[in-house]
Amino acid sequence: MIFNSLPFFVFIGIFLPLFFSTKRSESLWTWASIGFATLAEAVLWYGTSQGWWNWPIHGLILATTIGSRILGPLKGQHLISLVGSYVFYGWWDWKFLFLVGFSTLLDFTLGLLVDRESEKKRRRKMMILSIFMNLGFLAFFKYFNFFIDSAAQFLLALGFEPHMTTLKIILPIGISFYTFQSMSYVIDVYRRHMPAEKNFLKYAAFVSFWPQLVAGPIVRAKDFLPQFNHNHGFDWDRVITGTGRILWGFFKKCVVADSLSPFVDQIFMEPDAFTSINLLIGVIFYSFQIYCDFSGYSDIAIGFARVLGFKFNENFRTPYFSQNFSEFWQRWHISLSSWLRDYLYIPLGGNRQGKLGTYRNNMITMLLGGLWHGANWTFMFWGFLHGMYLIAQRQLGRPFGTLMTGLHFPKAMKVAFNIALTYFFTCLAWIFFRATSFDKAIDVIVGLTTWSGYTIVSMMNKFWVVKGVLLIGLLLAVEVTDLKMHWNWLAHRSITFRIAAYATLLALIAFFGSFGSGAFIYFQF
Amino acid sequence: MKKSLWILGTIALALLIDRACGMFLSKITKESQFRYSRLYNGNEEVDVLFVGNSRGLSFFQPYTEEKTGHSTANLSYNGMPIELAATLVQDYLDRHKAPKVMVMDLTLLDSVRMDNKLAYQFNHYSPYSGRLSKLLKQEFKNDYYAGQLSQLYRHNSEVFQRTFFYWKKTDKDWLLDRVISQEMLANVAKHENLRFHYDSKMLNHLTEMVKYAQNKGTRVELVVNPYYPEFIPKLTNIDTLVMDVERTSGVTVRRYTSAVQPAEAFGDYQHVNKVGAKLYVDKLVEDGVLSKWTK
Repeated sequence: MIFNSLPFFVFIGIFLPLFFSTKRSESLWTWASIGFATLAEAVLWYGTSQGWWNWPIHGLILATTIGSRILGPLKGQHLISLVGSYVFYGWWDWKFLFLVGFSTLLDFTLGLLVDRESEKKRRRKMMILSIFMNLGFLAFFKYFNFFIDSAAQFLLALGFEPHMTTLKIILPIGISFYTFQSMSYVIDVYRRHMPAEKNFLKYAAFVSFWPQLVAGPIVRAKDFLPQFNHNHGFDWDRVITGTGRILWGFFKKCVVADSLSPFVDQIFMEPDAFTSINLLIGVIFYSFQIYCDFSGYSDIAIGFARVLGFKFNENFRTPYFSQNFSEFWQRWHISLSSWLRDYLYIPLGGNRQGKLGTYRNNMITMLLGGLWHGANWTFMFWGFLHGMYLIAQRQLGRPFGTLMTGLHFPKAMKVAFNIALTYFFTCLAWIFFRATSFDKAIDVIVGLTTWSGYTIVSMMNKFWVVKGVLLIGLLLAVEVTDLKMHWNWLAHRSITFRIAAYATLLALIAFFGSFGSGAFIYFQF
Repeated sequence: MKKSLWILGTIALALLIDRACGMFLSKITKESQFRYSRLYNGNEEVDVLFVGNSRGLSFFQPYTEEKTGHSTANLSYNGMPIELAATLVQDYLDRHKAPKVMVMDLTLLDSVRMDNKLAYQFNHYSPYSGRLSKLLKQEFKNDYYAGQLSQLYRHNSEVFQRTFFYWKKTDKDWLLDRVISQEMLANVAKHENLRFHYDSKMLNHLTEMVKYAQNKGTRVELVVNPYYPEFIPKLTNIDTLVMDVERTSGVTVRRYTSAVQPAEAFGDYQHVNKVGAKLYVDKLVEDGVLSKWTK
């Protein structure tokens, strides 16, 4: 289920009280959960005239409650977390649960074996088996058709007429996220960075933890598993800060990202039908759409985790204020870029293999980072461009810095220029990321360089544009002022400010929010 | 317990903001010079009423007034679905003296190109129309009730943004002033065929609207607005559409598909621009559709 949907609100109303109900002294929460489940059903029954008293759901709640009581506060909470996560994930398609379950069982077993084994060669073999199996799942579900299609096209180009069969494989949502998470656990155990987890229930709850299961942030076992070592009781302070984060995430997703998407979708569907000014607005809007969509999801995930008593690391830090590409990758999808750095770039040799070796490692990391996003050559090219940017930055960074110093620009102007330059090239790469084919990406770029098309009169829908600009302005204003004002801290400290800020966010979501489009962009990855 | 009070405080303040802003936005909706605000205020008494989708907008209204001297209103909107058009027309007729003629472009009968969710965007007009409320309740139940709960949500739409934009100025001078590009002219043969997708339910809505207007004493003219001439062969089932409409509504359709010829009179294949609108209105006057009251 997705965060911005009615089933999720019913889910969270049942899950939260149940999660906090595992201590005997807090049995009130159990009744709250059952009460909410009944109320939700009554409302749904009234609203849709469908079904009254959903036995499977009530049976599951009852069984989980009894099971958690038998297991005790800690293991009981793991059970509730696991069942909740499987309901959350199985809502899309229950068949996907087998894959998560198998991946969990495999890496749990391999983790234990790697930990117990003392001979390095055998441990290494087991780790490679884990990588092979996890990447095998990924390759089959995500890249099988892509490789078959690409091979067929290649053979066709050589003059052969291939008869290849492609399977109609449905991509399980979030597979790229949880396979990376699960795989890194075995690698960390192999490296002796952490001991293997011996409690299967805890490990399964960790792999499938619903706030971040389908679109990250990708958490590391060594940071996150220990957080399952104690029972998480209800805490008002966490609810306060978590709620603020959730509301901000919904604002980014439902208000900014989804308001920009109709314009962006039209532009990229048929770029040759639109004039330059529309294409320019479309590309800028897309850069903010993907940022708000993905970072909004991360904010909601971080917020819910905080309410539940867990801590995720930040996944985005105002990336469009980066002054160069190294900085950009320290601010954009931090959990993936740091994963690639630790498990790919550094094992390849990092920057310790001379200039050419470093460039090669940069390029391999970025190409695979691109491929991680999806089975399409446009994603690979997006990764290639970012690889080139990083290489160009290493090569030209120093002479460029000397030139800027020589020109004696004020510091603020230099900073603004660097930010603008980084943003410009980021947007150029986004064109390939968003376009469904190279032809369409080229259409966008050709259109952008047709200077006669920059006329206000040819703008597609001025109301969409005005709304988009207004919302982007609001987002940037909050992000810029946050550096000085520390809004989160203020919301935690001042009850008046908190009430005003949260009520304003709710009002903005109601007035500007788009509630029809639903899914987050990163689900497809 | 004290700590939890902030949740109640937040909800109370959010509701307060919602109601206060809602009152202000309702005031804008009432005072706006946007055509639908004028409709629901009962301030739009006219002789000629145009109805259609984006093809019915262009420059018809100002030029008809200039040419014939008769007051004119246009209820067209981009992607207008027939159910919504029927609702708006009937609401218009209930609130005003019946216009002398209603000119309706029947190419809005197309489920593929119409905006299925447009009616929901008229949510901010629902307090003024039982008919519109009923339509919203039927088609967009959740949105309708969400709009009842939150006044801000009721005003969350592009149609409201337009209502706001025309708060202090009229939308009567709206025009399409772009000219079809050379590239489009060159590629017309490559363009895919255009088929009208409609069903008996849509035809019934049209007939209901036609009868309602006729019963009020309005002459109904069903027309096919002009297309770029070389695009006309792409309209694969326009003849069937015209026949079906004539059969169910009992009104003879006037076909102006090729009434406008020059390329510079079009914004694209399906929309006349200001030049084209003038040529088309001239033709309507010449044929007697609008000429009975020419000064």
